[in-house]
Amino acid sequence: MSRERAILHLNVTDFAVAVEQAAEAPRRGRPLIIAPPGTSRATVYDMSEEAYRAGVRKGMALSQAARVCRGAEVRPPRPELYRRAMDDFLRQVRSYSPRLEHGLEDGHVFVDLTGTHRLFGPAMDVGLRLRREVRRQLGFNPIWTLATSKLVAKVASRLVKPVGEYIVSAGDETDFLAPLPVSLLPGLAPGELRRLGEFRIFTVGQLAGLSRGQLLVPFGRRSDYLYDASRGIDTAPVQTGAEKEAVVFEHVFAGDTNDRQEVEAAVADLISRAGMELRQRRQEARRVGVRVGYADGLQVVRSASGRRRTANDFQLQQLADQALARAWLRRGRLRSCRLVCDDLCRQSPQLPLFAETHGRERRQAGLLAAMDTIRSRYGQALIATGRQRLSPLPAATGEAA
Amino acid sequence: MFPLRVRSSYSLLEGTAPPATLCRQARQHGYPGLALTDGDNLYGLWPFLAACRREGLRPVVGAEISEPGTMRRATCLVEDEAGYASLCRLLSRRHDPAGFDLAAALADGSEGLTILGDHLPLLDELWERGLAPVADLGPQPTEAGRRLRNWAGSRGVVAVATPASRLAGEEQRDLYRLLRAIAGTTTLSRLETLESPAGVHPLCGPEVYRRRFAVWPEVVEATLAVAERCAFTGPAFGIVMPPWRRGGEGEAVQVLRRRAYAGARRRYGDDLGETVVDRLEHELRIIATMGYSAYFLVVRDIVHRKGADGRRHKRRICGRGSGAASLVAYCLDITNVCPIRYNLYFERFLNPGRRDPPDIDIDFAWDERDEVLADILGDHAGQAAMVCNHIRFQPRMAIRETAKVFGLPEGEIARLTRRLPWLSRGDGDGLQERLQGLPSLADQDFSAPWPAILRLATRLIGLPRHLSVHSGGVIITPGPITDYVPIEYAVKKMPIRVPIIQWDKDGAEEAGLVKIDILGNRSLGVIRDCIAAVRQGGTPLAESGWNPEDDRPTREAVASGRTMGCFYIESPAMRLLERKAGSGDFEQLVIQSSIIRPAANEFVREYVRRLHGGSWQPLHPAVGDILDETYGLMVYQEDVSRVAVALAGFSHADADGLRKVMAKKDKVLQLQDYHRRFHDGCRRRGVAEADIDPVWRMMLSFDGYSFCKPHSASYARVSFQAAYLKRHHPAEFMAAVISNQGGYYSTFAYVSEAKRLGLTVLPPDVNAGDRRWQGRPGSLRVGLQSVAGLSAACLDRLLVARQQGKFVAAVDFWHRVRPADDEARALIHAGAMDSLDPGGNRTALLWQWAVFLRLRETAKAASLFPAVLPEPPPLPPPDRTTLLRREYAVLGFLCSDHPVTLIGRVPPGLVKVARLGECVNRRVRCAVWLLTGKLVATKSGEAMEFLTFEDETGIVEATFFPPVYRRCAHLLQSGRAYVLAGTVEQDYGAITLTVEQAEALGTGG
Repeated sequence: MSRERAILHLNVTDFAVAVEQAAEAPRRGRPLIIAPPGTSRATVYDMSEEAYRAGVRKGMALSQAARVCRGAEVRPPRPELYRRAMDDFLRQVRSYSPRLEHGLEDGHVFVDLTGTHRLFGPAMDVGLRLRREVRRQLGFNPIWTLATSKLVAKVASRLVKPVGEYIVSAGDETDFLAPLPVSLLPGLAPGELRRLGEFRIFTVGQLAGLSRGQLLVPFGRRSDYLYDASRGIDTAPVQTGAEKEAVVFEHVFAGDTNDRQEVEAAVADLISRAGMELRQRRQEARRVGVRVGYADGLQVVRSASGRRRTANDFQLQQLADQALARAWLRRGRLRSCRLVCDDLCRQSPQLPLFAETHGRERRQAGLLAAMDTIRSRYGQALIATGRQRLSPLPAATGEAA
Repeated sequence: MFPLRVRSSYSLLEGTAPPATLCRQARQHGYPGLALTDGDNLYGLWPFLAACRREGLRPVVGAEISEPGTMRRATCLVEDEAGYASLCRLLSRRHDPAGFDLAAALADGSEGLTILGDHLPLLDELWERGLAPVADLGPQPTEAGRRLRNWAGSRGVVAVATPASRLAGEEQRDLYRLLRAIAGTTTLSRLETLESPAGVHPLCGPEVYRRRFAVWPEVVEATLAVAERCAFTGPAFGIVMPPWRRGGEGEAVQVLRRRAYAGARRRYGDDLGETVVDRLEHELRIIATMGYSAYFLVVRDIVHRKGADGRRHKRRICGRGSGAASLVAYCLDITNVCPIRYNLYFERFLNPGRRDPPDIDIDFAWDERDEVLADILGDHAGQAAMVCNHIRFQPRMAIRETAKVFGLPEGEIARLTRRLPWLSRGDGDGLQERLQGLPSLADQDFSAPWPAILRLATRLIGLPRHLSVHSGGVIITPGPITDYVPIEYAVKKMPIRVPIIQWDKDGAEEAGLVKIDILGNRSLGVIRDCIAAVRQGGTPLAESGWNPEDDRPTREAVASGRTMGCFYIESPAMRLLERKAGSGDFEQLVIQSSIIRPAANEFVREYVRRLHGGSWQPLHPAVGDILDETYGLMVYQEDVSRVAVALAGFSHADADGLRKVMAKKDKVLQLQDYHRRFHDGCRRRGVAEADIDPVWRMMLSFDGYSFCKPHSASYARVSFQAAYLKRHHPAEFMAAVISNQGGYYSTFAYVSEAKRLGLTVLPPDVNAGDRRWQGRPGSLRVGLQSVAGLSAACLDRLLVARQQGKFVAAVDFWHRVRPADDEARALIHAGAMDSLDPGGNRTALLWQWAVFLRLRETAKAASLFPAVLPEPPPLPPPDRTTLLRREYAVLGFLCSDHPVTLIGRVPPGLVKVARLGECVNRRVRCAVWLLTGKLVATKSGEAMEFLTFEDETGIVEATFFPPVYRRCAHLLQSGRAYVLAGTVEQDYGAITLTVEQAEALGTGG
């Protein structure tokens, strides 16, 4: 007999703002906007609930945000601070279960509490306790919701946003979902929502009224997901970081830019981080993908694969250059640039057979190892390749995702 | 030193300086002359020759010819007239899509040309083919230059230093980089990886080249000898007219006389009165003396095209321009108003004193024009080509292109350029300051990188960007056209390749090439379609002897401004003027359509006052009665000339020159000269100082565009035909107006007008509807052309499928027409499938479409028979608001309701537009929909706007004076609802609203 799962979803809304507010409280009720300073073309990185209500949105031009939300306090983003806060947050949560699933520094975490009853008591007590602890020790106030699946827990979080708690008991999933708008279901593409609207299907309950066969007609392969989701069926496990593959880093430009050298410097910077991460994991990648985010919202992903796997910055850099050349064809300015190293394998402990052909690589490996040592001791920004230097203070965020 | 190789901005996107700048600089450097050698073209020939005359330089005509796909190129300089023709032929061959071999082409025909080359293999090849090219060492001694010099020395030919310049000075480098980035659709930082800046040089002074070439001083001296050889200083063709191919001018005179008399008898009956005969004789005599008989006959053959049956058929036309003043033209049926009845002077068109060639311009129905052009180009193959436009960077384009190079997102650029009112040519600096002062850009963010963009964009303004085809100018030459001017081919969809000459209309005129303007006119299509629909409906309507200007109901409609949709008299300003004038006379309409000019507002007011019996004095006793017909006001272009003759004693030719200058852009310099002469002339004839300036001011109101009386009369005739059809056959007329598109207003506005005319607007229908809109008495059926997103191919399939039988069910339709997903959904949303949906539930229909689409995709091969679809699940039909919102999204208007009535919460106490007439001089508020607007400048240069609004009951013109405009401009966007608060005003019976407050209402659509 399978046990009822207990999935806890903790969500700190507007994570960056929550961290900032915890670090240094702004004047009460004063809206807070997080955006890079010193450039007129900056966009909003995150904003507080007050600012959101005034009409500020993520990605909106800062100049426009400042107009619609006068009197807001603007602070620069501090990715290192958010990363540390996220680590602290996860540490708190991890003391209740090792099975966590979380994103980059976004304040989201799914916790699988199945079978922890004897250790920590009922799952809902864990939720309450976790929130109390987080509030006391870290100073922010997460939503917590409890359900039998990630899907239902997430819908519950979306329902109570920005603060609150919700428990959906086993067996209540369908009733809980039925009156809710379909837009609360995670994972629906805008086209699918539009199509549902055309069919006058607005609530999850209406959607659940359609049979698998009926759904198959307009939605094809997606029909199974819709069918299950509308009934609260989600068997996906909580995936921990170690089970995930790719090494991902992202650079967000302070303003936006179409300067070739600036973009190349940012990519070089991402490569140095990804390379170090791979070497620490003792992994090698065969494929490097670059995703460029244009100022008009378009994103393009292109990748390049090598013949051999590598964790060598110089070889990764060649792949990244190819991928960037394929991805960045338009003239438009870039807002962000994301680097993904995947198709991973464990580093081979075996030495190369013909040492002389790899002399150059060996020397490079030695250099990189030395740089890694310096970086892990004194910080990422202390030493860099010439190409990276043009980049202003590295504002990269990321981790193995 | 003589600069022998210099590029101007006419080397499109490969040069920064206009010829005028280069010439001024050449003079300042102390050069005796200048050779202009643009890349593969003579686009800048006429501005260059004019600038040389101004600066006192000796011009050398030339061009740099390249071989596509290779690095080979040669500079050709013209020695004599034969050389000029050689160059034109070479350039034409260069642009022939069939391909081009430089060495072979030069060997074939370079008579009269001096060839400069810097490519050794090419020079060798030319030498072997028996030519003696000059070695071009470029602007500084180099290793390659040494080899070239040795090559020249060993063969005994000349080697010269050339500037090989693309810039006027070092400060233009960043402008050059910008142009290159625009040309390569790349960014400044990426351009560095694509092009080396090493080969880009400015035009330096002679001492610079002398110093650089101090080691080989002879190559600098040799330039003078080469320039000496190139004695050609520009073409002088005289007037070049189209030939009549069935005989010489002598025979043409006879034929023209015969045809004119035959036409006169058709027009006026067999017994021609003395007036007609006298006038015909007078005109024929002048035409024969000036050698224009063949020209008239060529134009006649264009209008009366020989059909497949061997007989000539007259096309529907409207003569425009001064040609309509000719009785001969009227009798040949190439114009449409009787010049005797409407008192049009032939001399305005042709007189022995006129030195420039007059054009005959003819409008054809817009959708027949391409065929007419194809006929002309086919009939005169090798001797005919269209005139081109030199498209220059205007402020909007300059900003847009520069911003793209800087990588700004499309939306951000559009936010600025969309709200940019028309800006006149930049005067060198301050684009940013000017933009910041514009009220419509009040909320624009001008932070970095905008200042850099605007600074660079300012310098782009006025530089030529690319060529386009002139809207209708055709040149026909007696011999091969490539002897006169280089030809290239336009990228234009037509049955045949369209050759275009390398000069724009001003260049063509300076060269003496007579142009025939073949223009497209939407309203001729409207009248044609409307008459056809009326006849199809069983009402006879004969066009011969049709005099709509004598029809009383039509005149009443014109007098009350009910002319929306009517050619030339539908704009808000025109309708207001008609209402104020309240006459509806043909003669008054001719005046009205001429007097509405951008700069003539105060005269419009004065005209209305005088028309209603206000007293007036002639401009000056010396002017006499020449302006009596127009109440003492200068209305037509020719009034300027006539007053100048009468008051300042101008000769007819000078007066004509003044009139032409008025119509030109960029005329400041020339106008100053005329002003001085006009002033002097008046004073000499004893006109009081205080009287001169008002007259000159009235003349200045002809700034921009203005018309001559024959043109106005010719247009007014078409206006009256349209007004007649609208008055008597409103459904057919409105259907034709919307179907032909391109009117002053949006389809939305015409649909509202149709409803106000009492017509029922029926939704589009796949069974009952047609491609075009259909009018039947009392109703208007939306044409399927108006369903946004429906491709032309799908519409064709639909019409073909329907010919085989009506659609019996939705599935039948989808099976036979095979629409794409968005097309099928658009048809459902537009209501075009309702007649195939017995359940009356569009949601179910959408579901069924999804089922059909799935089956079609999975079945791979289309089945012979339509599938049988399962019953849809019980889905609710869309509510009314959703229904209408979708209909609006697809059609851009609503068939049944006016969107302004659908806005839920409106403030209380609003007045409907139809009742505004009862509220004169009172403050009111009304909820209205913005249709269109026109930005104008007040006398003090402040921006204000006239906007047209409507609700379901009527249409109203609203005035936004500068303070209100400044406050509201950024809110105003057509296709949205507003609550306006303001005062209702009345002027000679015309109602307007002077707005004090505007507030957006709901969301558009």
